[in-house]
Amino acid sequence: MKRLTLAIFVIAIFAVLSLFIGVSDVTPQTLLSNSEDGRALQVLLISRIPRTLAIILSGASMAIAGLIMQILARNNFVEPSTAGTVESASMGILFVTAFAPGMPLFGKMLVATIFALAGTALFLRILQQIPLRSVLIVPLVGMMLGGVISAITTFFAYRLELLQSLNAWMMGSFAGVLRGRYELLWISLILTLIAYIAADQFTVAGMGQDFTTNLGMNYNRVMTLGLIIVSMVTAVNVVTVGMIPFLGLVVPNVVRLTFGDNVRLAVPWIAVLGTGFVLICDMIGRIINFPYEIPISVVIGVIGSFIFLYLLLRRNARVA
Amino acid sequence: MFTNRVMNRQSSRFFARSAYTTLLVLALVFGATGILFAQDVEEVTITHNQGETVVPINPETVITFDLASLSTLNALGIEVAGVPDANYPESLSLYASEDIAKVGSLFEPDYELVNAMEPDLIIVAARSAAVYPQLSEIAPTIDLTADNTDYLNSQLHNAEILGQIFDKEEEVQAVWEDIAASVEAVNEVTAEAGTSLIVMTSGGEVTAYGPDSRFGWLHEELGFVPVIEDIEEATHGEAISFEFILEANPDWLIVIDRDVAIGQESEAAEQILDNELVAQTTAWQNDQVIYLDPTNLYLVMGGLGAIQETIDDIAVDLGIELDSDEEAVEEVTEETAEEAAEETPTEEATEESSE
Repeated sequence: MKRLTLAIFVIAIFAVLSLFIGVSDVTPQTLLSNSEDGRALQVLLISRIPRTLAIILSGASMAIAGLIMQILARNNFVEPSTAGTVESASMGILFVTAFAPGMPLFGKMLVATIFALAGTALFLRILQQIPLRSVLIVPLVGMMLGGVISAITTFFAYRLELLQSLNAWMMGSFAGVLRGRYELLWISLILTLIAYIAADQFTVAGMGQDFTTNLGMNYNRVMTLGLIIVSMVTAVNVVTVGMIPFLGLVVPNVVRLTFGDNVRLAVPWIAVLGTGFVLICDMIGRIINFPYEIPISVVIGVIGSFIFLYLLLRRNARVA
Repeated sequence: MFTNRVMNRQSSRFFARSAYTTLLVLALVFGATGILFAQDVEEVTITHNQGETVVPINPETVITFDLASLSTLNALGIEVAGVPDANYPESLSLYASEDIAKVGSLFEPDYELVNAMEPDLIIVAARSAAVYPQLSEIAPTIDLTADNTDYLNSQLHNAEILGQIFDKEEEVQAVWEDIAASVEAVNEVTAEAGTSLIVMTSGGEVTAYGPDSRFGWLHEELGFVPVIEDIEEATHGEAISFEFILEANPDWLIVIDRDVAIGQESEAAEQILDNELVAQTTAWQNDQVIYLDPTNLYLVMGGLGAIQETIDDIAVDLGIELDSDEEAVEEVTEETAEEAAEETPTEEATEESSE
C-alpha cells in the first residue's frame, strides 16, 4: 500500500509537469502575475487541464481494458488491439461517418461500442473452437481477425474516399483535446470503477468456466460484463483520442509479473502505471519536436513494441 | 549441264542487277512517301523530368495519371480517354463518369487496360512518376511533375508542353494571362492583409503547412505573409495543437479540409476549428478564415483550371472582383448561394458516396 501511494505521488508530479508543457506560455509565474488579460489561466483551463485529464482517463482505462481482455481470453498477449476490438470499433465509426455523418459524438460512440462488442464476441467464439490454445496462437488469431476486419473497413473507406480520414481517426493523439471535447472519457472512469468492484469475480473467472461454476458463480454473466467494459472503453477511447497501441498489453503484463493474477491487487497498479506510461509518452511527443507534436500512438508504438518483444521473447514466456 | 549453269549464272546476274535497280527505285519512292507520311503525323520531342520522349502532335488516345495535366487539358477543351479512379472536383466531374476508362489508381496503373487502349500519349506526374519506366514501354510517356519551389512557373511550363503537343500554344497563353492577372490582383491585397497560416484538418487533427510545403505557393506566389517562416517541409504537414494557432495568431487562416469527401463542404473543418482557443485569433474574430477546395489543392495539385479556381475562391474571400474573370467569380458566388439554399446537402452527398 505504501508503494502504491508513492507511485501515485510520482505520477501526480508528472501530471502537474504536463500542465506546464505546451506552446502557450503557462508557468506558475505567468499564472500568478495574471498579466496579459489572464491568458495563461485561460489556456490552463481550456487546454492543459482537459488534456492531462484525458491522458489520465484513457491511460488508466485502456490498461484495465487490456487486463480484462487477458482474463476473458485467458491469455497474456491479448488486448483490444490484438483481438479485433479496436478494428471493429473503427469499422463502427466508418459506418456512422458514411451513413449519418451529422450524428453527435455520443451516438458515434454507441455505434462504435456495438461494433466493438460484436467483434470481441466473435473473437472469443473463435477461441472456443481452437483445440490447442497455445499461448502465442491466441494473439495471432486475434491479430488475424483484426486484420480481416480492418481489411473490410479499409476497402469501404477506400471506396468512400475516406481512407486518409480513417487513418487520422485511428492515429491516437491528444493534440485535439480541449474543454468540451474529451468529456466522453469520464464514462471510462465509471467503467474502470465497475471493473474494480467486480475484480474478485474476474479473478475467479480467470481460472476457467468449470472452476467458476463450481464456486457458484455465473460464468457467462462475468464474461458478458467484461466484454461490455472492454468494448465501451475501447469505443470511447477510439472516438475521442484514437488508438493507443500496446498500452493494454504492456502495462498489465508488467504488473502481473510482480503481483500475480489477483485482479483486486492489480487494478490500482495497472491504472496508475497506465496513466504514468501515457503521460510520459505524451510529454515526450510534445517536447522532442516542439512547437509541433508527435502523436502519442507513434511514441508508444516505438517504446511499447520493444517491451512487447521483450515479454514475448522472455525465457519463460511460454509458461505464462 | 555446264553450259546451262553458265547461262544460269549470267541470267541470274542480270536478274540480280535489275532487282537491285528496282529495289533502289522502290526505296526512293517509299522513302519519299515516307517523308510525306512523316509530315502527316508530325512529332515533337519533349524534354521532361525523366528524359526526352518523341510524342505525336495532336495524339488521339490520351491517358493521364496526372490530374493537374487533366485540369490543364480540360481548360484547353481537349478530351482525355483514360483517367485514374479518383474523387474528381466539380470542374472535372465529366471524368468521374463510367464512360471514361478508369486506368488504375493515382499511383498504380492497370497495365493491361492501358496496353489494350493503345494510347498515343501517357502523362504521369508526382504520385505516378515512379511507374514511368513501365508505362514508357507501352506508349510515349511524359513526366510532368511540378516543382513546388517554383510552383506557378513550373505549372506554366507544363501547360506550355501540353500546348505544344496539342497545338494550342496560344490558348495556353490566353488562359495563363488570366491567371497572371488574378495573381497580381490577389497580391495587391495580400501584401497589406497581414500574416497568415495554412492548416489542414483531418479526422479532428490539425496540421500546419509552411512556405516550402505543397501548399507553399499560396505564400510564395499569392503573397500571403507566413505567420511562421520555418514550418518544416512535410508531405502531410506538422501536427499542431490549438494552442499553436492561438500563439501564432495569424490575421488570415487558410483551411484545407481533407475530410471534405464526406460531402459536408467545410462543415467538418469549421467544427474542428470552432473552439475557445482558435476563437481568440485575429483571423477568427475578423471572419478572415478561407476554406479552400481540397480536391483542387490536395488532389489535383495544379493545372490551369484548378489554379484559376483556387485563386477565384481566394479572391471571393478577400473581397476582390477579378476584372479578367468576372464570370468565374459570379459562378462561384452562385454556387455558394445554391449551397446555402439547399437545406441538407449532406444526405445527397452520402447517397452519392455510398453508391
